[in-house]
This record gives sequence, structure tokens and C-alpha cells, in this order.
Amino acid sequence: MTLTNHDTDRPAAEASLPALRITDAWKSFGHVAALRGVSLTVRGGEVLALVGDNGAGKSTLVKVLSGVYPVDSGEIAVAGVPLEKADPRLARARGISTVFQDLAVVETLDIAANVFLGQPLRRFGILADRKKMIAQSAEILRSLKVRVPSVRVAAGELSGGQRQGVAIARAVRQDTPIILMDEPTAALGVRETAQVGEIIRSLREQGKAVILVCHDLEFIFAHADRIQVLRLGQVQGVRDVSATTRSEIVSLITGATARDEDLEATN
Amino acid sequence: MSASQEQNTVPHGVTSSVGIVDVDLAELDVPLLKRLVMSPSFALSVAIGLFVIFGLTQSAQFANAQSWINILRDATLIAIPAAFACIVLVSGGLDLSVGSVLVAGAMTAAATSSAGLGAGTAFLAGTLVGAGVGLINGFFVNFAKIPPIIVTLGSLFAVRAAVVASTGGNPIGPLPADFTFWGQGVVFGIPVVIILGLVVVVIAHLVLSQTNYGWSIRALGGNLNAARSAGIAVRKISISVYVLSGAAAAFTGAVLAARLGSGSPTFGQGYELQVIAAAVIGGTSIYGAIGSVPGAALGALLLSVLSNGLVLLRVDPTWQNFVIGLVLVAAAGLDVFRRGQMFRVSAKRTAASRKATS
Repeated sequence: MTLTNHDTDRPAAEASLPALRITDAWKSFGHVAALRGVSLTVRGGEVLALVGDNGAGKSTLVKVLSGVYPVDSGEIAVAGVPLEKADPRLARARGISTVFQDLAVVETLDIAANVFLGQPLRRFGILADRKKMIAQSAEILRSLKVRVPSVRVAAGELSGGQRQGVAIARAVRQDTPIILMDEPTAALGVRETAQVGEIIRSLREQGKAVILVCHDLEFIFAHADRIQVLRLGQVQGVRDVSATTRSEIVSLITGATARDEDLEATN
Repeated sequence: MSASQEQNTVPHGVTSSVGIVDVDLAELDVPLLKRLVMSPSFALSVAIGLFVIFGLTQSAQFANAQSWINILRDATLIAIPAAFACIVLVSGGLDLSVGSVLVAGAMTAAATSSAGLGAGTAFLAGTLVGAGVGLINGFFVNFAKIPPIIVTLGSLFAVRAAVVASTGGNPIGPLPADFTFWGQGVVFGIPVVIILGLVVVVIAHLVLSQTNYGWSIRALGGNLNAARSAGIAVRKISISVYVLSGAAAAFTGAVLAARLGSGSPTFGQGYELQVIAAAVIGGTSIYGAIGSVPGAALGALLLSVLSNGLVLLRVDPTWQNFVIGLVLVAAAGLDVFRRGQMFRVSAKRTAASRKATS
């Protein structure tokens, strides 16, 4: 299948290999086929939104990309190099970091400890290099324009948007070229949603490939470059944000507009 | 979609005047002095100080150096296991088996020592038995998924029964001098017991506060799922914490046997409660994630000062536990209050940042 790519205003993104390419991924759970031949590409400096109704296969795709589920068939390639197996650590090592919906923030630890959770900086092998972690996490939050009083306050004292910022900072710290965000605005208010939007914009400016799984069409139209609609485990259609409308996306989600592939087949 | 408008949506004058954006993010905005005064260790030091001042006005015994050596020696024997009870609590666990593991360590060390194998071997053997019980505790908590309170309550019963059965209920002693030195000896005028206690407490403190292992322990107690998905080996760490706690309790038992010159299967009955009380009085949260080893050591000191002090003040000994009970509940209440405060601070901050950015 072909992925339309009308991006002419961003030569940098155009020139590079796709940061991530999924080719014809199939995944079943018993008799339920969650993914039926899903393909996807995303380039550096591009924000791809994944939308779809419940049961469309979004969550499965997130878990496949983050290395939690293996695919039955199909290929996931990062910068052209296929991942040989499903393993969260391998996925991270190859360049995909995931911001999970539940954020995985430890409320009792301070921001710096949360940003470096599980991958602390060391001194003499075993000691925590707090000075460096504090300085670097402050640096990252500043670059993401996340406003917090100090990186030494406990994450439990933060607002939802600030916590989202900390979770994203952890992904950014790993400096992977691909960042996958699962419902980053689900629990947020208007102001905090705007803050996350700002973070996504700055990631895009840094040349990261961002995959955004999201329900909020308004947010998607404000921050994504392309929208890929999933329906019943298949790709219903891929649209450039600049060349589509909300009603077209909604009718793709509901199935009122036929699949692109079906149309091509009948033409 | 174009992202070319690089405009900051926040008016500059407003934010910088409130200082939310312009603060150095690495600086904590709560001053050191305030943090110190707010800490449970500070409240505890004040409480101990007040009690001692009161005691001095009532009894000359309070000024006696020997009284203080006794107080510190008693405190040490609670502080060693309390330091690790604190670490277990911080990891989100609980170890109730301390009293029985202590007697297992004491009897193993006493038996090894009276068999003529030397003090080093005796301490090692005792400590290893405790580590073994800790390993079993940790295994059942992490793999059988049985709540720690039940697992360690089970070993509290089982281990003491095993100790009593295997010794026939008889004490082992008198023990050789090379062994009892570690409980009765004095170096530079300071009892060896106190030096041992200080060393163990300082090491435990450094482990919890300075190492990545310690930070992982705190992550476990704060949010187990988050720790797991961040790639922290949660089972390994949780098991290791029970192993350390068991080893510390058994080591304390060996020290106690050395101090008394013999090991008795009646050692350590109800000890686990004093140990947990010391940790909680020292500011360790029973909800996990929050706690400090020096606090637990100060908690042990308070218990020791109270029980020795009340004797010096000629208070009926039956009232001692009444006072300890009050202090314990007050300390736990303080913990709840502090957690509440944390959220109030948060609400204030959020309001401030709202004002700054809207």
C-alpha cells in the first residue's frame, strides 16, 4: 500500500530514511485478530497521530512498538534496521521510547529521580550521581519548556500536566529518535493539554519522530502532521493534516468512508 | 500544519516577577533550615533533649556517664535491626520476624562459638542464618505473592519454634572470651557494641541515601509498577531487602549473646515491635517510600532513653510501655500529617503557577 506524502514544506524530514517503518504487521489473540496487515511509517521531525475507535488496534500497536507484544508476522524496522524480537529493552536500545498512559511516575521521589528512574547516573559504580542528575533533568525540563518550581520537588506535588512533562522528559533523556506517546492528554485540563502540545512541538523541532495515540481530534489537528486511522485492525486511511478535515477523519474512524486500499482495488 | 510561530504564550513580565520560570531548576525552594526543622529527626532530637533536661532536674543519675553508656548500649541493639526495618518499610515491605531471627542468630553464633570455632566464624554463621530466613521471607513475598505481614508473621512463629526445638529450650554458655569481647569489650573507653552499632547504622544510611540501590528501594516503595516499567529489577531488590533485614536481626542476636555471655532461646521476644516502633518514631512511613536510617536510630535512642530514664525517675516499670505506645501513635500521626502537608504545599504551588501563567 502507498502512504501519501505531500510534505513539501519540510525538506529535512523528506530527505531522511523513515525513522520507523512497520510493514504488514499481523497479530492475533486466539481467534481475535487485533492487527490485520498494518503498515506505518514515520519520519524524523514528524508527528504521526494514530486514531481509531475502541478495538481498532491502537493499544496493540503501541504494545508491539514498545516491544511488549511480538507480532505474528510483519516487520518493524528502526532507521531501516529490523528489530529481531519483541523486548522492551531492545526497543528502547534501538531508539523507541514510550510514554505510557499511566506515566509510571513515582510520586514520593523528586523530579530528578523520576527522570532517571531505572537508568541512574553513577559515581564509582554504585553511588547515585545526584548532582549530575539534578543538573541534567533541569536542563531537559527547561528545553521542553515544562514549568516546575524545582527538579527537587516530589513528583506527587505536581499537576497532571507537569507529571506528563516529567514522563516525557524521561523519554527525551534516553535521546531516542522515536517517541511513542499513549494518550498523553487523556487526564489533562485545557491548560495542561496546551503544555503537552508545546512539548510535542519542541520534540518535532528537535527532529524526533513522534507517534501520538490520541482521542482528542482538536489536539491532533493542532499538533500532528499526518493522521493514520485504524479500524478493526486495519489501516482505514492516512491523511495529511493540511489536506483533510475533521469530518473526513471521523467518517474514516466510523467506517463511513471506505478504506483507501478498497478504493484502489475497485479503481 | 506549520509550527513556524515560535511565540511564547506566556507574557514575560508576569512570569519573571513571580519567578516560576526564572528560578534555577536545580535549586530547592525550601530553605535548608526549614527542611531541617520540619524533619522528623529534629522533632525527635528535641523530644529526647526535653526529656533529658526534665530528667536532670529530677535525678542526679541522669548526669552519670555509666547511665548514658547503658542507654546507648540498649539503643544500639534496637538501632541495628531498626535501620534495616526502616529500609524494608521504605521498600514497601514489612518484616515482623525480627525477634525470632534475632534468637536464631544468637543461638547459632553461641553454638558455633562454644564449639571453639572462633568469634569471626560464630558471627558469620549467625548472620548467615538470618540472611537465609530473610531469603525465604523475600521469596514468599515476591514469588508466592503472599502479603509480607503474613509471611514474616509465619516465620516469626516458625523460626522461634525451630530454635526452641533444636536447643531443647536450654541456653548455650558460658561463651569464650574472644566471642564475648564483641559484646562486653571496651576500646578507647567506648563499648565495642556502640562502635559496632554506629558502623552498621552509618553503612545502612549510606546505602539508602547515596546509592542507586537505595534510590531503587525508594522507587519500589513509592510506586511498584512504575519501578517495574522503568526497568528496575523489583523482585531482586525486594528479596535483597529482606535478606539484609534478616542478617541485621541475626547479627544483633549474636551481639546480644556476646554481651550477656550466653545465648538463650528466650532472647528477642517482642523485639520486632520495638524495632518497628523505633523506625516509625524515627519518621519511617508505614506506607513505604519515606524514611531515614538516622531517624530510625534516633527512634531507638528515644525508646532506650525513655525506658532507662523512667527507671531512673522511679516510675513504675509497667507504665513504660504506656508511654512508648503514646509516642508511637503520636509519631505515626505526625507521618500522616506530613503527607497531608505535602499536598497542601502542592495546591499552593499550583495556584501560584496558575496566577503566573494566566
